[in-house]
Amino acid sequence: MSDSYVIIGDGIAGASAAETLREEAPDAEITVLTDEGESLYNRILIKEYAKGKLPEAPISIHQEDWYDDHDVDLRLNTVVVDIDVDADAVRTHEGETFEYDSLLLAVGGTPQQLPVENADADGIHHFWTFQDARNIKESVEGAENGVIVGAGLLGIDFAAICGAQDVEAKYLMRGDNWWRYALSEEGAEIMHEAMRERGVEPVFDSGVDHFEVDDDGHVEAAVDPNGERYECDFAGVAIGLNFNTELVEDTPLELDDGIVVDEFMRTNVDNVYAAGDITTFNDLILGERGKNGSWGSAKEQGTIAARNMVEYGSEAFEWVSSYSITHFDFPFLSFGHPTIGDDSVEATTGENEWRRVALKDGKVVGGVLIGDLSPQSAFKQLMREGRDVSGQTDLLMEPDFSVDDLAATTEQ
Amino acid sequence: MPLRDTGRRLRLRRTGRVPADARVRHYDELDDDEQDVVRELAGDPRTAPETGDLDDGDVVKFTDYYRIRAR
Repeated sequence: MSDSYVIIGDGIAGASAAETLREEAPDAEITVLTDEGESLYNRILIKEYAKGKLPEAPISIHQEDWYDDHDVDLRLNTVVVDIDVDADAVRTHEGETFEYDSLLLAVGGTPQQLPVENADADGIHHFWTFQDARNIKESVEGAENGVIVGAGLLGIDFAAICGAQDVEAKYLMRGDNWWRYALSEEGAEIMHEAMRERGVEPVFDSGVDHFEVDDDGHVEAAVDPNGERYECDFAGVAIGLNFNTELVEDTPLELDDGIVVDEFMRTNVDNVYAAGDITTFNDLILGERGKNGSWGSAKEQGTIAARNMVEYGSEAFEWVSSYSITHFDFPFLSFGHPTIGDDSVEATTGENEWRRVALKDGKVVGGVLIGDLSPQSAFKQLMREGRDVSGQTDLLMEPDFSVDDLAATTEQ
Repeated sequence: MPLRDTGRRLRLRRTGRVPADARVRHYDELDDDEQDVVRELAGDPRTAPETGDLDDGDVVKFTDYYRIRAR
C-alpha cells in the first residue's frame, strides 16, 4: 500500500511540497486542501496586478490541470475544521475525512485588522490573497484620496499601488520613519522621497485612532491620535499577520508565535510537518528559533519538508532569505534578519545608495541595501559561513566590498 | 542553478507591455546567479552569458519590467 500525504494550504510552501513529494514518492497518494478558490498563484506579483501593471494570466502558476497531470488531488474551497493527530486524520467543513500517513501544515497567516473603530468599513483593505488584489485594484481605481497604515515591507506596497493608480495618499506612520526597526532616518529618507515623488506623503508620529464612515458605511476619513483628520475613500492597512494556528490549538503541537518545527520542518508530533509563514523553525544559521515570511524561504521549506516526510533527516533547512522592493527607480533589498542584533554599521555609498548591516556577536545576521545591491551575495555568504567580522566592519561599507577583502577568520 | 552551455548570450530590454502568455517572474524568485545577471544588465545594453533558468521571452520584474532576449 502506498503512503498517503495530506497538505493543508496551496501557497508556495504547500505547492512546492506537493511537487517534491510527487518526485520523491511517485506512487504516493497526495491530497492538497485549500480554503482558497483558486490554485497556486504568484503571491509576489499580485501587487503588480493591483498597480495595474500586469494582467491576471501570468500570475497563475499552477493551472488545475497541473494537479491532474501530477496525480495530486486538489480540493479548492475546502476548510479544514479539525485535526486529529491520534487518528492521523483531518476533517473538513463539509464533514469529509482525510486520513494520512504524514501531514503538512502550510496554512500561513491572515492580515491583522487595526483594533480601532470602523476598521472593517467598506474601502478599507488588507492585502494577502489574489482576491484581495482584485478588490484593491477595483477600489483604488475609483478612489481620489488614500490613507495607508503600516510602516513596513507590506505597507509600502499600498503606497506603490496608490502612486501607480494616481491616488493622492497619506502614509500614516507611528514613528519618525518608515521601517524604523531596520532603517535609520538617513536610509528611510530615500524611501520617503520616492514615495513623495509618487504622490504619497509620509506622515510621522501619527497612526490611526479611528476611521470615519459615510451613511453607506464607506470609509471617508482616518483620524490619527493627534486629532488630525485625513480624508480618504481608500485605505490600506498592513500591520502584520495573525498566524493561522487556531486549527491546531487543541492538538499536542507546540506553538510559539507559529508552529514550532525542527530544522527538518517536523513538529513535535512525528508524522506532522509544517512549512512557510506559519513555522517557528530551528534556524541553523542564527542558532536560535527564527521566523521568515519570504517567498523563497517558504518555497524551500516546502521542499525540505517534503523530503523529510519521505525520509526524516534527509535534508535540513538552512537558508538566508531576502526580500526586495522594486517599485521605485532604485532597488531595495533586505536580507537575513535586519531588525535584530547587538550592533550595526551603516553608510551612504552614493546618490540614493545606502546600506546597513546588522551584527550579532560579531557576525552578520542581516541588513538592508538601497540602490546598490551588488554586495548582497557577499553578505549572504558571510551569514552562511558564520564569519566573525569583528574589527573589520568598516570594510562592509566599502562600495566594492568582497568577502576576499576580509582578513582570514575562523569560520564557525 | 547550473550554467547552461548553449553559447547563447542574454540581454535585457525594458518593456512597457507584458503579454498575457509571458512567463513573468519577480527578482525575488530568481536564484543568486540569475539575480546577479539581471542587476548587471538592467538598463544596460551589454550582454552576459546565459545563466540559470532565464530564457528567451521571459519577463523579469526588477525596478522596471525587462524582457529577456537570448541569442
